[in-house]
Amino acid sequence: MTIKQLFSLSLISLLTVACNPNASEDAKEHIITEEVQNIDKEKTLSSEQKEKVQHKTAVAKDVILSLYVGVFRSKKMNNKKNPMLENKISISLDSISHDVLFGHSVVAGNNRPFAGKFIKKDGLYIAECKEPGDDKYDGVFTFTLNPQDESIKGAWTSNDKKLAVTERSYDLKKVEFKYNPHQELGDISAEVYQSSNTNSNEFERITSDAGKFNASTSLLKKEDVENMYKRDLEVMRNAIYARHGYSFKNRQMRNFFDTYVDWYIPVSTDISKDLTDIEKKNIDLIKRYEKHAETYYDEYGR
Amino acid sequence: MKNISTSIIKNKLPRYALILLMLVYSYFLWLMIKITLQYWPIQTDVAFLSIKQDYIHLLHYRIAFFVHVFSAIFVLLAGYTQFSNSIRTKYPQWHRHLGWLYVVVTLLFAGPSGFIIAIYANGGSSSQIAFCLLAFLWMLFTAIALLKIIKKQVPSHKAWMIRSFALALSAITLRAWKYILVAVFHPKPMDVYQIVAWLGWTLNLVIAEIIILNKIK
Repeated sequence: MTIKQLFSLSLISLLTVACNPNASEDAKEHIITEEVQNIDKEKTLSSEQKEKVQHKTAVAKDVILSLYVGVFRSKKMNNKKNPMLENKISISLDSISHDVLFGHSVVAGNNRPFAGKFIKKDGLYIAECKEPGDDKYDGVFTFTLNPQDESIKGAWTSNDKKLAVTERSYDLKKVEFKYNPHQELGDISAEVYQSSNTNSNEFERITSDAGKFNASTSLLKKEDVENMYKRDLEVMRNAIYARHGYSFKNRQMRNFFDTYVDWYIPVSTDISKDLTDIEKKNIDLIKRYEKHAETYYDEYGR
Repeated sequence: MKNISTSIIKNKLPRYALILLMLVYSYFLWLMIKITLQYWPIQTDVAFLSIKQDYIHLLHYRIAFFVHVFSAIFVLLAGYTQFSNSIRTKYPQWHRHLGWLYVVVTLLFAGPSGFIIAIYANGGSSSQIAFCLLAFLWMLFTAIALLKIIKKQVPSHKAWMIRSFALALSAITLRAWKYILVAVFHPKPMDVYQIVAWLGWTLNLVIAEIIILNKIK
């Protein structure tokens, strides 16, 4: 009797070692709807128009120099190269000198300046701005700015036609960015890509625990974080960076904050100097538990 | 646990089964040695200790932790020798020497240190009570078993040693349950910890009582 019990016990444990249940049964397809937009392209500027532009530069500054945010959608892509279909992008129009517009875009952990000429036509500003061209992902922005509804609509084409995505469109709204430590994730329950391969159907669940604490305002204790899944800890920590407007290089985190966190605006690729003392302490604590969970959660041990 | 059965069951185990059981036991002992060696040379921010940073500054916690880790591994050696009838009859000296090693390590080192770290166990009062009780009962059963053999009460000594060793084996079974529960149910880390803090040794005691009952019959 006893021997049989012992046998079956060890058999059970051996069997469980052999099977590795995958928790991604309810993984769902990520459906992207493509929007085709009409983009006005005005490439040539006549000298007459140039003069007009100069007169109106002062006015234009007040109207258009601002921050705009929205979705950067892929329109032409190579699916074999694992393209990121949608990213949140912010475009900042920084200054105007004569008829040249200077600005920069922040998207997918990439902060790039651009400059180009613009004209005013029928109350709309039409611009064609180039990125410097010394980065693999540089290209050309062409857009129409509508001061009435404070929006920017346009397209971007890459210089390098071998990239995963060579053309994107965007429809951005004017926003103001200000660090606000009280921004909450709220009761979020979502799924993120499990691997960096966004074509795979592997998803990982983020539970509402991720938004249980605000790691920017309250100093966390070990009791707060010790019973959380690794993925929730990661989101809670990255919410700190998101409040500072960090543009995520990490695809999973980018996908999560882009999709589920409406206050999130990517404006910077380096926020390390902006972190408060509470945030730094919480980051250390959360990271320790993330690391422990990653190494030991499903291991034989504690 | 495997050797317990060999000595207890009246119908002897087939040889292949004994070998298989010893292999399984050796495998888990090997895992325990690897877990122990994570802390050598002595480090205070690795593995389990990385989530004990609130207590690691306490000198008595540090001492208790390392005493426990580096002493407790030796009690598992008893699994190879102490429950074998043939070893006990052919080499009684070995049985006595390893028996003393087991008792001394348990009562003076692994047991008391286990009790101290149990006070600071993760998972709140539930798992703290579970681990304190485990340490207390382990020492109690071991002490009773020692007294019984001093009084030459062999059957009683056997029964209490089976109980004592069942609790010593919780080091292995607790981690096995954790592994199984995580693989099957994917629970939150402290939820599973609170469960195995109890499941890891109470079930062993139940099995021990079944073994003792069968033996006495």
